Amino acid sequence: MSADRSVQSIFKLTKAPIYSHCFSADKSILAITHENECLIYRMNDSSQPQLVGTLKNHDKTVTAVDISVHGRIITCSQDRNAYVWEPLSDGTYKPTLVLLRINRAATAVQWAPNGYKFAVGSSARIIAVCYYEHENNWWVSKHIKKPIKSTINCVSWHSNGVLLAAGGTDGYMRVFSGFIKGLDTKESVANSPWGDKFPFGSLVREAYQGAYIHDVQWRSNVEQVAYVAHDGTLNILDANNNVSSINAPDGLPFKTLLWINDNEILCGGYSRHPVLFSRASNGWKFAKDLDKGSGSAEQEPAVTSNGEDEEENQTFGISALRKFKELDLKGKVSTNTKESAHDNAIAGFVPFVESNGHVQQVSSCGLDGKVVTYNI
Amino acid sequence: MSDWRRIDIDAYDPESGRLNREDLIPSYPNQITLQDLQPTISQLRSFANSGDINSAIQLATSDVPYNTDEQTKLQYVYAVLEVLVQVRQADVINIIKGLNSQQQDSLAKFLYKGMSMPEGQKNGGILLSWFEKLTQVAGVTPIVHYLSDRRTV
Repeated sequence: MSADRSVQSIFKLTKAPIYSHCFSADKSILAITHENECLIYRMNDSSQPQLVGTLKNHDKTVTAVDISVHGRIITCSQDRNAYVWEPLSDGTYKPTLVLLRINRAATAVQWAPNGYKFAVGSSARIIAVCYYEHENNWWVSKHIKKPIKSTINCVSWHSNGVLLAAGGTDGYMRVFSGFIKGLDTKESVANSPWGDKFPFGSLVREAYQGAYIHDVQWRSNVEQVAYVAHDGTLNILDANNNVSSINAPDGLPFKTLLWINDNEILCGGYSRHPVLFSRASNGWKFAKDLDKGSGSAEQEPAVTSNGEDEEENQTFGISALRKFKELDLKGKVSTNTKESAHDNAIAGFVPFVESNGHVQQVSSCGLDGKVVTYNI
Repeated sequence: MSDWRRIDIDAYDPESGRLNREDLIPSYPNQITLQDLQPTISQLRSFANSGDINSAIQLATSDVPYNTDEQTKLQYVYAVLEVLVQVRQADVINIIKGLNSQQQDSLAKFLYKGMSMPEGQKNGGILLSWFEKLTQVAGVTPIVHYLSDRRTV
């Protein structure tokens, strides 16, 4: 029907918005945020995901969820808490409360690549870096405070597990060190182009954007960090402080981004469909829209020919029906508008099928309660 | 505790340090004074008097004074408004097409500022027509940039 075959599958999971979703390493388990809960689904081939669990310890909206390489789930919520959910052999999860020591909502969470620590962004102008202490059988939270001036919206770990990028409503994208003694080694950041010494909490880089930063993501092997802001821009920062900036083709802000490979970034947000950008010799440029809803012009001749058929019939009922249809069309170009898969803003992307550092299928969650997978 | 959202939690935390408006405005190394700006303003007036609106708009939107106080900004806005209202309707679209995207963003800021004050509202119809043509050419991008940009005119 349509030339755009980028949509692979659409799963309408909830009525409430999905702010965050993620998959286990083998993509068999899907976790989504749903009001005060986190819902766990088992993925089936080509059919609707099957609900297998509900994590319900939070008493306010769950804002973010992530799954570690070991299968542990971390959720954080506006109730100022985070829980680590340990998978048990019978398919249930054992919760452990993490005392974040923040006085406002937790907004974003991500496991470090090794799965032994995670970072939580919050409205308390704090990033909490949490790790497990065996002696105390307890998740310890260490704070990064300065110079954060407002809510943190997003966090992203470098693959070395030390550099932590964060963006927020003060309009700054910042790179901090999340170095934890005993957990991280100096070798992992040896010869890093971002600096020489990385004591915990130190500010490594700072980039002023002005508008809210909605999402940030590292591309570690090219040592670049990309972020999207509420002014509708995608920005890419390298270790030499060069920023490449590009506007959204629709003008509407992006909420999320995902590196597809070293030279391509997928963005999504209020325009409800993914937009692909690629690196050219002179900076980044717009490559293509995926699943862009449109008033399809090629359908229109079919409508008029139908109209002629009806006229030939000369049946009163049908011509009256046509009259009403025409009335209904007022103010529209055509009835045959193709809607994009998401009916509301896209809130997050995660890779779904990936090989050799190249993402082939992407999964998105949206404020319409859908999870959609796209072919790139 | 149904109204817990109204609790001023900062009052319980002496270390919290409130976020001020100034914290969010980018810091500039130096401030421009009205004297620095006077040549540009008189240049704008002479372009407007000679009817060369295109050059005037190009000048007004290319180096916008953000790093200055409100009073000086106001003088600049008055000068730009004088230019904006003297345009011939037929020229608007071509003038806008001749601007780059940063200049279009700046133009949007002046239009919003103009519409927000009585001096601009006197000629609201002309400003709206500028705005209409601007969105025809550049879509919603200048509007989104205006809403999210902390560098104001």
